[in-house]
Amino acid sequence: MKRVFEHPAEKLTGKRYWRSLNEFSDTPEFRGWLEREFPSGAAQLNGDEWSRRGFLKLMGASMALAGFGLTSCRRPEMHLVPFSKSVEWTIPGKALYYATAMPRRTGAIPLIAATVDGRPIKLEGNPLHPASGGATDAFAQASLLDLYDPARAKRFAEVKEKEENGEKKRVLETRDRAAFEKYLADLQTKIAADGGAGLAFLSEEVHSPTRERLRTKLQEKYPKMRWCVYDPLLTEAQSFATQLSFGDNARLVPRLERADVVLAIDSDFLDCGEGDLAGIRAFSSRRRIGEAKETMNRLYTVENCFTLTGAMADHRMRCPASQIPAFTRALAGKIAIATKDQGLASTIATLSEPVNAMQFDDAWLTECANDLMAKPGASLVLAGPHQPVVVQLMVYAINSALKNVGATLVIREFIKTPKTNSILQLAGEMNSGRIKQLFILGGDPVYNAPKGITIDKDTKAPVDWTDLQKKVPDVVRLGYYEDATSELSTWQVPSAHYLESWSDALTNDGAYLAIQPMILPLFGGMSELDLMNAVLGNAKVDGPELVQETFRATAPPGDFQTAWTQLLRDGFATHVALKEKPPTFNSNNAGGVAHTLWTSAPNPTLDAPEIVLTRSYNIDDGRYINNGWLQELPDPITKLTWDNAALMSPAMAKHLGVETGDLINIAVTETTKDTNGKNIRRELVIAALISPGHADNSISIALGYGRKRTGPIGEEAGFNGFLLRNSSNPHFIAVDSKTVESVSVTTAPTEKQPASPSPGAPSAAPTTPPKVRAHTLGSYALSITQDHWSIEGRGLVREASLEHYREDPEFVKKIAGDEELPARLPSIYSHPPLTAEQQWGMSVDLNVCTGCSACIIACQAENNIPIVGKLQVGHGRAMHWLRLDRYYASEKPFNQDLGEYPENPEIVHEPMMCQHCENAPCETVCPVNATVHSEDGLNVMAYNRCIGTRYCANNCPFKVRRFNFFDYNQRPMGKKKVGPLEVYQEYIAPFTEKGAPDTTKLQKNPNVTVRMRGVMEKCTYCVQRIEEAKIAAHVKAGASPNTRIPTDSFTSACAQVCPTGAIVFGDVKDPESKVSKMKMQDRNYRLLEYLNVNTRTSYLARIRNPNPKMPDANRIAVASLGHESHENGAKHEPAEMKPEEKP
Amino acid sequence: MANFFPRWTNWLPLKIAICGGVIVCGLTGATWYYVTPKYTRVGYTPVQPVPFPHDIHVSQLGMDCRYCHSFVDVAAHSNLPNTQTCMACHTQVQKDNPKLEPVRASWKSGQPVEWVQLHRTPDYVFYNHAAHVNRGISCASCHGQINHMSVVRHAKPHSMAWCLECHRHPENFLRPETQITNMDWKPDWEKPAEFVAKYGQPKDATDDWSKKEKLTQQEIGLTLKERWNIQPTVNCQGCHR
Repeated sequence: MKRVFEHPAEKLTGKRYWRSLNEFSDTPEFRGWLEREFPSGAAQLNGDEWSRRGFLKLMGASMALAGFGLTSCRRPEMHLVPFSKSVEWTIPGKALYYATAMPRRTGAIPLIAATVDGRPIKLEGNPLHPASGGATDAFAQASLLDLYDPARAKRFAEVKEKEENGEKKRVLETRDRAAFEKYLADLQTKIAADGGAGLAFLSEEVHSPTRERLRTKLQEKYPKMRWCVYDPLLTEAQSFATQLSFGDNARLVPRLERADVVLAIDSDFLDCGEGDLAGIRAFSSRRRIGEAKETMNRLYTVENCFTLTGAMADHRMRCPASQIPAFTRALAGKIAIATKDQGLASTIATLSEPVNAMQFDDAWLTECANDLMAKPGASLVLAGPHQPVVVQLMVYAINSALKNVGATLVIREFIKTPKTNSILQLAGEMNSGRIKQLFILGGDPVYNAPKGITIDKDTKAPVDWTDLQKKVPDVVRLGYYEDATSELSTWQVPSAHYLESWSDALTNDGAYLAIQPMILPLFGGMSELDLMNAVLGNAKVDGPELVQETFRATAPPGDFQTAWTQLLRDGFATHVALKEKPPTFNSNNAGGVAHTLWTSAPNPTLDAPEIVLTRSYNIDDGRYINNGWLQELPDPITKLTWDNAALMSPAMAKHLGVETGDLINIAVTETTKDTNGKNIRRELVIAALISPGHADNSISIALGYGRKRTGPIGEEAGFNGFLLRNSSNPHFIAVDSKTVESVSVTTAPTEKQPASPSPGAPSAAPTTPPKVRAHTLGSYALSITQDHWSIEGRGLVREASLEHYREDPEFVKKIAGDEELPARLPSIYSHPPLTAEQQWGMSVDLNVCTGCSACIIACQAENNIPIVGKLQVGHGRAMHWLRLDRYYASEKPFNQDLGEYPENPEIVHEPMMCQHCENAPCETVCPVNATVHSEDGLNVMAYNRCIGTRYCANNCPFKVRRFNFFDYNQRPMGKKKVGPLEVYQEYIAPFTEKGAPDTTKLQKNPNVTVRMRGVMEKCTYCVQRIEEAKIAAHVKAGASPNTRIPTDSFTSACAQVCPTGAIVFGDVKDPESKVSKMKMQDRNYRLLEYLNVNTRTSYLARIRNPNPKMPDANRIAVASLGHESHENGAKHEPAEMKPEEKP
Repeated sequence: MANFFPRWTNWLPLKIAICGGVIVCGLTGATWYYVTPKYTRVGYTPVQPVPFPHDIHVSQLGMDCRYCHSFVDVAAHSNLPNTQTCMACHTQVQKDNPKLEPVRASWKSGQPVEWVQLHRTPDYVFYNHAAHVNRGISCASCHGQINHMSVVRHAKPHSMAWCLECHRHPENFLRPETQITNMDWKPDWEKPAEFVAKYGQPKDATDDWSKKEKLTQQEIGLTLKERWNIQPTVNCQGCHR
């Protein structure tokens, strides 16, 4: 008798989890992704490319020809090359670990770099320092790839103007270092002639004491010089407001571990890309819940587009960025009345009622305010740094009224820095011709400086940085890439990577870190310190002398040499610490400034939406644009790779008549006039992306993309949001009466802008015909991975509210029918003998996973995972072993035929990698035993056995196996011009050059096989680390029997990098290990348990902590349980709640 | 009608079949033998830039392997000595020997001596020396009697089957930890009384081995295997990662 296996019925009584609107609507495209492991056509070279058959014919012919030329079957003679003299500490093939740090905008991250044979191959957080705690983020992980980027600037170059075909062109001509030094010497005499009056430096924001010291020295030598700092994402608003409210050099340190209730007002404080790993850890320490009786914090967010913080929130309100001032004022009003706080009252007293502002849900506001006030001294309100000064001041006043200042918001006295000019001041001086010598240290101002940066005195029209830079006679640019700024400079100097140079840095709470080089500059680059030292006229310094001098000045206790060695060993010095400042809020200052600066834009409309310019989760402000790992990393929220897009809500898209991937034209008309007396109009054509949960009447664009000149990875990626950005509206553009006259979003091309043809790549965007769809501008292929590797609702993510969890601690078993399972599931296969003393397993706590994606990059760096390029990602051939599934969750059913979409869904992130099933379905179908089980519970892959049938992937219920469709490691990928044609190089592989660039080879982890084409691969639980630990234990044991690896003495790459400790790896047989303890919690569940696959990876269910008094409380995190709703008591009938059946 | 096929052709199909069979078997057998590591590798004796005689250094001068291969017990790789190590002696001994010219040149210029690689595992094989030499496997087990080679050559096949011979039955190769670099060691050398006093004997041994006249390799191996908890992996992950 044949029995057809059926999955247990999905208990979808209330909540639905979905990854995309395609899945939500169950479109045929989504079905295509769902029903197959690899999408239809992934195994074929289709479309305008080669047919598989034709390709094989050609390959067969070339094989036959190659046979005639077989010259020798002998192995090639290879050489072993020992050092001629021993190198200190070096043992060939063994990793050496050094402490260093990665300088960042907001403060450095302490790191441990692993080097093998002199080349850094992996970065980890420094576990000794709390600013890292052993964790890192995606940028720190990926910065390693930048070091080995074959496209980085490799030469000293002088820029010459040349005439070509009657056109004047600026060309970079290669020079050597000596020529540059000679030029610099000449320049010094010019600078000295007027005491540095014409000298200016433009640098990026990093907190390096040595840089500050050299800068002071420069200022002593050239008293009239100017020092400017520009970072497109750094705002002065927050620091200005801080100084104003709490005194000079004050810096606020939120103490999230003390906060019971947190309100984030347009603040993405959980974004670890900003580098505050300690803050994220502190937050998650209050989020982690061991058993039902424990408490957890509560997070409210108010934001326009979904952020990682919003995804974590218990209550989330969608609010356009331009309405945040109005929201903050309304909240401050409620708190001022209730607390009768004088400071807060006086701060907001004179702020006028905003006109035409958004109407906020009063119940939401009131209950949120009440919740904050219920926890005086244990609540915290945070405002995003890109909100204007008034918002910052109001938030400080609110915190002061809630008695949080000094409790959850600590004030530290930061090191005093001399006066720094802004780029606007510099631009003014450049325009008036006062700047004669300009040193641009890093950055790319030609690309990212605000448009219309200064007003020309004569024409009264705004001038762009591009024109200003041309006015300066001598521009020296220290750049990591040869880009737009290099072209408009006099000299381009290659910049050294931070892993190539000596420096120092401060963490965001002011701890002193040493940055030591791991390798000599690969291409002879100079560091910032080298260049500044050269401008000072000092001799070249190769060693750490410059940093040592700074360190000596900090007066380390005891003997200097010992202290220095200790600094290099630990990576940080403990004697340099910030002083606490008295927590007094200066409401007089705040009130006055708030009054003068108060402005609130009217609520944006569908016809005149606001444009919000955001930081990209992938490439920051554009500095990582040429980093393939980060480019291919799916955005944590939109799952978009290789591009940015205009994010908008479904309602907004419906209004515009666009679908994801359609091009729209955004035009901003400013009130300023150009030389012709016309209002300045800035335009951007960009692809739309429908993002559920986005605020209506608002469009978000990530900055940093759309660069004309950078490396091959970054060029042609995305759209340039900087084109819309001017100095008065750096973060959001909304129609106000002052600077912006109108904002229009259309699908029609303007006169100047012809419709751009859609690129040849097949679109990953949905193609279902909407009711009204404007096609005038065409569409653009976006590679979005949200539907890739989809699994139909099988209770993969499970969540509950804290209240429900307390009522029913075993709720997690009741979701996917697990409680109905027999005690012992029958099996027709023999089970592998799991005889080893130690058995490996993993646990993922969904409650603290923020979705930051650092684990994906860490896995990529550790396991030599290649990038595949935008086109191949679109085809579903991405290679990430670890993917982060982002699920939207919404409660009630919607009628898609009427165009109904959930407006404000919740988000749950779920890291998904090989689950290491004990009864693995993949193993039984492999014809060559390439994937088998080991005695310690791993599902192992023998690459050299794999013949690429892909049966295993088809049989994997978790869709975690990846196949090398192309020779990603040996052959170039991506578009290339061949004559008049543009071809994807992967399709003409036999004709491309074989072999990876030398520098890329240096990055590879020598302990992991570099896989070739035709091989299946997947997460190995970092088997190389397991084996390394095993071997170390065996070596240590020697002639004794104790070969046990000490408990939790090593971990996998993803677990090591995780800033919140959501992923834990270890020995599941050892009851003392962290992973065993996690698996013993009652929130623990395994995926697809009823299939009897016996997975080794398990998950801890997500718990949200909604405030029962909030208007939306009854729909937060409760619906997936299929129990009665708390608030209205109505019984959800399963049949009623099932999604509409499609005809 | 004429006879188209002469009589002798009657046997032709059989002859062809037999010949064909012999040829196919021959080819298979030849391929089987000639492309296996047993043939392609064993005996490989490349010409080195310096004809380093292991026999003189080890057998005559009594140097330990680890004097030159200094990291063999701590690292995955057994390193070749760097020029500095050679020159530690050869600035005094044989300092004008013309055969040592490449070493002296390397010492002067700082450019390394390029030795020809002899034992090579494929890139997907991760062999670890330290894990073996610390756990009772001698250099000689894989590299042969190097101490008697005046020119070093590939002595064992180093194929996967050959590796598994030991991983499945380590008792055939284990020896006391003090004898790892003693290339001439034989099981007969062990005095049973002393050996059993030091290492004991397996639990399931019925008679008292210390009373024996001689110990066999099997007996020594089984004792050490049990005493040191030797469980060599036969899983893919042990060598392929």
